[in-house]
Amino acid sequence: MQLPAIFRTGVFQVTILYVVLFGVSVATLGWFIYRSTVGYLQEQTDEVIIAETNGLDEQFSQRGLRGLVEIIDERGVGTDEERFAYSLIDLSNDGSFRRLAGNLGGWPARADVVNEWIEFQVPGRRPDDDLIPVRALVLSIPQSIPQSRYRILVGREIRELEQINQRFIRALTLGLGLTMLLALAGGLALAFSAQRRVVELNRTTRRIIAGDMSQRVPVEGVQDEHAELARSVNAMLDQIESLMAGLRHVGDSIAHDLRGPLTRLRARLELLADEDAPSQEQAAECLAQADGVLATFNALLRIARIETGAYRRAFEIIDLGPIVTDVADLYQATADDKMVELRRRIIDNTLVFGDRELLAQALTNLLDNALKHTPAGGHIALEVQRKGDRLVIIVADSGPGIPPDARERVLQRFARLDESRSTPGSGLGLALVRAVADQHDAELKLTDNAPGLRVMLSLPANTAPEPDASG
Amino acid sequence: MIRPDGEPKAVRVLIIEDDREVSSYIRQGLTQAGWNVDIADDGKDGLLMATTESYDALIVDRMLPGVEGLTLIRTLRASDNETPALILSALGEVDDRVKGLQAGGDDYLVKPFAFSELLARLEALIRRARSVGSQNETTLSLADLEVDLLKREVRRSGQKIDLQPREFQLLEFLLRHAGQVVTRTMLLEGVWNYHFDPQTNVIDVHISRLRSKIDKDFEKPLLHTVRGAGYRLST
Repeated sequence: MQLPAIFRTGVFQVTILYVVLFGVSVATLGWFIYRSTVGYLQEQTDEVIIAETNGLDEQFSQRGLRGLVEIIDERGVGTDEERFAYSLIDLSNDGSFRRLAGNLGGWPARADVVNEWIEFQVPGRRPDDDLIPVRALVLSIPQSIPQSRYRILVGREIRELEQINQRFIRALTLGLGLTMLLALAGGLALAFSAQRRVVELNRTTRRIIAGDMSQRVPVEGVQDEHAELARSVNAMLDQIESLMAGLRHVGDSIAHDLRGPLTRLRARLELLADEDAPSQEQAAECLAQADGVLATFNALLRIARIETGAYRRAFEIIDLGPIVTDVADLYQATADDKMVELRRRIIDNTLVFGDRELLAQALTNLLDNALKHTPAGGHIALEVQRKGDRLVIIVADSGPGIPPDARERVLQRFARLDESRSTPGSGLGLALVRAVADQHDAELKLTDNAPGLRVMLSLPANTAPEPDASG
Repeated sequence: MIRPDGEPKAVRVLIIEDDREVSSYIRQGLTQAGWNVDIADDGKDGLLMATTESYDALIVDRMLPGVEGLTLIRTLRASDNETPALILSALGEVDDRVKGLQAGGDDYLVKPFAFSELLARLEALIRRARSVGSQNETTLSLADLEVDLLKREVRRSGQKIDLQPREFQLLEFLLRHAGQVVTRTMLLEGVWNYHFDPQTNVIDVHISRLRSKIDKDFEKPLLHTVRGAGYRLST
């Protein structure tokens, strides 16, 4: 049988660990305090007893047995609780003894005990008093003769000491117990709180898994790492949702827009199959049609891959200037043939973070479009400018331009303006430019070049803006 | 019949591809070009065949059962096998040209591809492998066309021809691939160092300019258009 969930939370387990650690710390601290207080007192008592035995030992060497007996009898008298307990015996070989002096009733130790500490109890002063605990040292006297026939016992009452001891231990134990209990209670409270948020997160994600992509994890409450996690999960869900939408769109596009060309290809091939003598030309036409379909398919695929961020991993710091120059060079010949002037104006310091190929392809599409729509004698401006912390690529032509209401539509896949239906191309050029712009965190804007179309692609620059004289 | 210049030995190619349709499609085309073609349909067999037999070129698909495409090439290169390898990358993968070339591949083609593109690139690979050592020339020539790479001068029948820098690069590339079909994408890669399909006739315009400079006033045309494929500089 499993423990209730609350006890299985990470927070609770950490709490248990902490409670144990804390308990050990408190216990260790308690022991040190104990040693330095009660322990000290115990040591003191022992030292006093030892001092007394040493003193008695001296008396014996100076005055002999008789002197010792006298001293003991003298000191053992009195009701002062500060006095010692004494007992002096003469031990025979057979283990029996004869009491020589002392204020104890007998010999509380066994016969073979010598040079040891013992504890025992004596009756209280008054008849119904409690027994008094005594701690004593049993020595042979003189101490220089370890197995002397004379044994001496010197002790002191330790009732107060014992009481202090008990009080101390009781306090420590109580304190320790209380600490651990409080820690446990605190841990449980924390665990409840944490668990509640995790349960909420789980519930939301389960709903999402079940298909409700519109769900998001709640972010209210204490703004801690849980809230941060919730935010991240939500951002991820946004991303997933948009990717799914993108995929769906691609699937739709592919199905919808390749169906036509493929159907036409099939028709041609069918005609070809029916011919007795199919001509080279017919076959070539079919091939051209098939190539057209493949080209459209490749372009769609490229856009889809760009949109899923597949190329983002390879982004690096690149120089925009040379890319723009390359594309301009590529089209210079074509522009010359069409008698369209290609004007270039590229500033220095054109570093950006991105993909050289993608940007070149996007620019190619823009320049290609511009050339297609600019009549002979016109001009196309190809510029790279700086605006604040962004670099702006501008392709501005002197052609017919695009009416304002069509400017958004034209960025979608397969959108063609009516005028351009007669010109070759798959209508994917601008869609690719937009996909590339998105990946580069770039803003794509189409405006009126008065006359003509002005396309602006604004990317974050990769260097700090310098103080610029022209502004 | 397309054969690399002056080589009587028939070209042998190994296709390592698990998609039977693609491999037999390629084989058919290459056989028509007069080449001998073997097929391996998984990585392990492919590696075995590539190491035990000698081929002029390998066509290696990336996604293979057994040993993966790039691993296969790396293994070959590690055992000093320098057979030129053209890597095919299937749908759904990122254009990992760099990875493919780093693994030891010599060229990279993304599916779906046009067969003419494949053939042109294979020929270029084989030609390059068979004539190693011609990379350090200072002049290139074909018939009466001479190009001095150091002085950056072009002459035909002794007459000096003025070319713009980009036109010079274009001619140099075509000369290095003389006799072979060069596709538009190969030109964009070799001369401009971009790897996308321009899908426009931009390259064509540059070619026709070049042609007007080196062919127009001379008797024998050298720069030919190969329909559906690309261009070829040949006599």
